Amino acid sequence: MMDALFITALLAATIRLGMAIGLAAIGEAASERSGIFNIGIEGVMLSGAFVAAWGSVRTGSPWLGVVFAMLIGLILAGIHAFMVLGLGIDQFVSGIGMVIFGLGFSSFTARLTIGAKPTSVHGLPSLDFGAISHVPIIGPVLFAQSPLAYIALALAVATGWVLNRTALGLEIRACGENAEVAETLAIPVKRRQTACILFGGVTAGLGGAYLSVVQVNAFVENMVAGRGFLAVACVMLGRRRPLAAFLAALGFGLAEAFQIRLQTLYPDLPYQFLVILPYIAAIAALVIGHVRRGPKMA
Amino acid sequence: MSDGLTRLVRVGVVLFVAALVPSLFVVIAGHNPWRVFTTLVLYAFGPQGWSEVLVHAIPLTLIGLGVAFALRAGLFNIGSDGQLIAGAVLAVFFAPYFEGWGIAGLIVFLAIGAIGGGLLGAFVGYLRAWFGASEIIVTIMLNYVMIQMISYLIRGPMQETSRFWPQSYLIPDDCVLPVIVPGTRLHAGVFVALVMVIVAAIVQRRTVLGFQASVLGANPGAAAYAGFHVKRLTLVIMAISGAFAGLAGAVEVGGIYQRLQDNMSEGFGLAGIAVALIARLEAAAIPFAACLFGIFFAGAGALQRELALPFPLVWIIEASVIFAVAALQWAVPSRKAAAA
Repeated sequence: MMDALFITALLAATIRLGMAIGLAAIGEAASERSGIFNIGIEGVMLSGAFVAAWGSVRTGSPWLGVVFAMLIGLILAGIHAFMVLGLGIDQFVSGIGMVIFGLGFSSFTARLTIGAKPTSVHGLPSLDFGAISHVPIIGPVLFAQSPLAYIALALAVATGWVLNRTALGLEIRACGENAEVAETLAIPVKRRQTACILFGGVTAGLGGAYLSVVQVNAFVENMVAGRGFLAVACVMLGRRRPLAAFLAALGFGLAEAFQIRLQTLYPDLPYQFLVILPYIAAIAALVIGHVRRGPKMA
Repeated sequence: MSDGLTRLVRVGVVLFVAALVPSLFVVIAGHNPWRVFTTLVLYAFGPQGWSEVLVHAIPLTLIGLGVAFALRAGLFNIGSDGQLIAGAVLAVFFAPYFEGWGIAGLIVFLAIGAIGGGLLGAFVGYLRAWFGASEIIVTIMLNYVMIQMISYLIRGPMQETSRFWPQSYLIPDDCVLPVIVPGTRLHAGVFVALVMVIVAAIVQRRTVLGFQASVLGANPGAAAYAGFHVKRLTLVIMAISGAFAGLAGAVEVGGIYQRLQDNMSEGFGLAGIAVALIARLEAAAIPFAACLFGIFFAGAGALQRELALPFPLVWIIEASVIFAVAALQWAVPSRKAAAA
């Protein structure tokens, strides 16, 4: 069973299934680096998934859907920033509000517009680089993904570079390490944090869009199914480093791709025991991560 | 004083925005927000609605108490849905043994539900205290795990004997919480919820455990310095928090479903967090917050039936209420917050 074809399909699926989580994790890593946590990623992703599907159906262009998803991510993250930085509301409370709002907004508006039943939408086609896309194993895995996947990888690298190698990144990290000290150094703390939160909203919106216009080609109610929370877990596992969080997300993609294949290989095994694998993996990874690196601050 | 005027204006703005957001969605759906509001209120306080409001308020109260108890200690329990399922499953698993036990069977049935939720909560507390695993993530992940587990159980080992529907066997009559108002679904679980409110209030204010939980939440460093066994305390608090949700699971089975089935929780976990936050974590205020959300849940069902407004409107209203209550803290800072 473990032949080249199987491995090719598994790895290609890993990237496809991990990408939505990975996209959201990139922005959340930046946001957490600046000191603001958004547990509401799940709600932002749901809103992004719906808006992208709606935009794709309405305009016929999945790319416009993706743009709409980024916009809704920006708006919702703006609300989070206003609540947390403007009104001084607890981050957790605002985030939970965002989860619930995203659930309501996406399901309510979906039933009014594109219908409660899964509606198929115009998806983004995968890229085809010609001959190189057909090279065994590496072709389908590396050179035949959705354009969003390459954008995601570039974003992960670029975000890490900005955070670690630029003056702006240093300022952002200072905000997250100690906001008071950053303030005395004349760093505009709230503006930096707002920018990071908004960036987090955009990538979460993109992650949601990836689900509806690339991975599933439809909007289904509550289709994010915990991926937003998994993205937050990835940021913990990657210790708030964007590229590491992104790679952790691909780890969950692998778990998901693996369990889907196990379902077909072992049809007698109750599928429910396989569906839970990525969630169990998340818990195990948090525990193992702690054991390996020793205790650290909460 | 201009200070007082500022506050009044702020409160006005917050309430206006909180009413505006759901209203906008109602308008998008082609309805008159005022008519929707009156329909909701008339239903909730009408001859059929009031009992449905209370039926929903029962699990929301129990879950809200558990969430608030953990949150006072600075622990985020977002896993009430999973703990509710754990409690329901364990209670139904043992229920057949209580046939003919009478009232004792009912009490043991409910206690086992609390144990089921408590065990899952204790597991989370253990991972949090000894392995530093975020209880936020672990509780959420366990929700998804438990949803799959109940799905397996009611299609496998615990399925009804005819093996046709995805549901478990019925629990014996001894374990059923009787309907207390004929012609409604309102069951004796309402008394269970009220007793637990009193218990939670006493634990919160009059016991060493409640005191230690508050200290841990206010200042974990001080708790450790004072010699509290913080790890064990974390485990116990998460266990108790989970036990409330597990009890809610047994109460839902005993009062409504009388068996296991899919979708028993209807998103009560998230709503329970909202209930706890709106009640400002005060046990005595939680049943009132739960009734407010009971109005939303029962009312949204009525709006869907009568005006064809999609049920998820309830989540939009809930989110608005959460943001509004949080923003009111900004509009009218309490003395404690102002001093800080």
